Amino acid sequence: MSVHSVFVAKERLKNLLIADRMQCTPDAADRLTKDLYLTVSKYMEITPEYFDIEITRSDIHIKYAGENK
Amino acid sequence: MGEVIVITSGKGGVGKTTTTANIGIGLSMLGKKVLVIDTDLGLRNLDVVMGLENRIVYNIVDVIEGSCRLKQALIKDKRFPELYLLPSAQTKDKTSISPEQMKKLIEDIREDFDFILLDCPAGIEQGFQNAIAGAGRSIVVTTPEVSAIRDADRIIGLLETSGIRKNELLINRLRIDMVKRGDMMSVDDVTEILAVDLLGVIPDDEQVVIATNQGEPVVGEAGLAGSSYMNICRRLLGEEVPMEDYMKPESLLEKLSSLFHRN
Repeated sequence: MSVHSVFVAKERLKNLLIADRMQCTPDAADRLTKDLYLTVSKYMEITPEYFDIEITRSDIHIKYAGENK
Repeated sequence: MGEVIVITSGKGGVGKTTTTANIGIGLSMLGKKVLVIDTDLGLRNLDVVMGLENRIVYNIVDVIEGSCRLKQALIKDKRFPELYLLPSAQTKDKTSISPEQMKKLIEDIREDFDFILLDCPAGIEQGFQNAIAGAGRSIVVTTPEVSAIRDADRIIGLLETSGIRKNELLINRLRIDMVKRGDMMSVDDVTEILAVDLLGVIPDDEQVVIATNQGEPVVGEAGLAGSSYMNICRRLLGEEVPMEDYMKPESLLEKLSSLFHRN
């Protein structure tokens, strides 16, 4: 009982939804993130900690440093 | 022209039928002419939740097959001003109706009602396709659990693909005590993850079980679920009803009263 179970639930749910929305495994979602990072880094200066992708039902959002969250 | 709303969820057992019944009854209490349709072929339940199971003569398949006229199959709920039920068929399966037939049926009766609510079966197969065929908007019911929310996300995607753009979320059976101690996802957690408009929240309330046992509605009754259902009905009519704040700290009186009730 060290972690509230709601944190575990949210984490599992977020991973499931990404996989469902992409229709692939969570592992493939991770690989997509890496590939997108490498691709974007060819054209602009980015660092991993300021790079994040978010997959919703209809879009893929790429967030990077300097962009308003 | 009536508004046609499908009540759906993907996952079974989250409260679609109870929601359909209570919203239908609530809207009729607010003076609207309402038709509720049970589209779950083979697993007829909406009539039971509404306490109308002994009045069924004809059903939706009879209407579509032309064995009876629509007016003959409609059951008027005499407890409320303008509320009608079109029951499902218990002995047919989901292939007895096609989405096109469903769409036509609804087009034919839309003018006669202010609201038509479609109680959708669980799953994403033909029963779901039938239920959404004639709908213009949806209420997606979920509970604050990983599996139910996952299915809700899937359903919202399918609704959008089918051209239904107005999809609103109803979070059912929220356990306020569990949210407070960090063991259940909160309303904010769910809406943030699903990124969809919230229509309302129904707290877990044993009155719902008691009312359903008796085939009675809970909407409009005193208590958390009853007033939440009524607020949802008002929102459907376009009223600006603020979301209930279930997370506010208990007042001294409530604390004393729960202490009292514990024994």
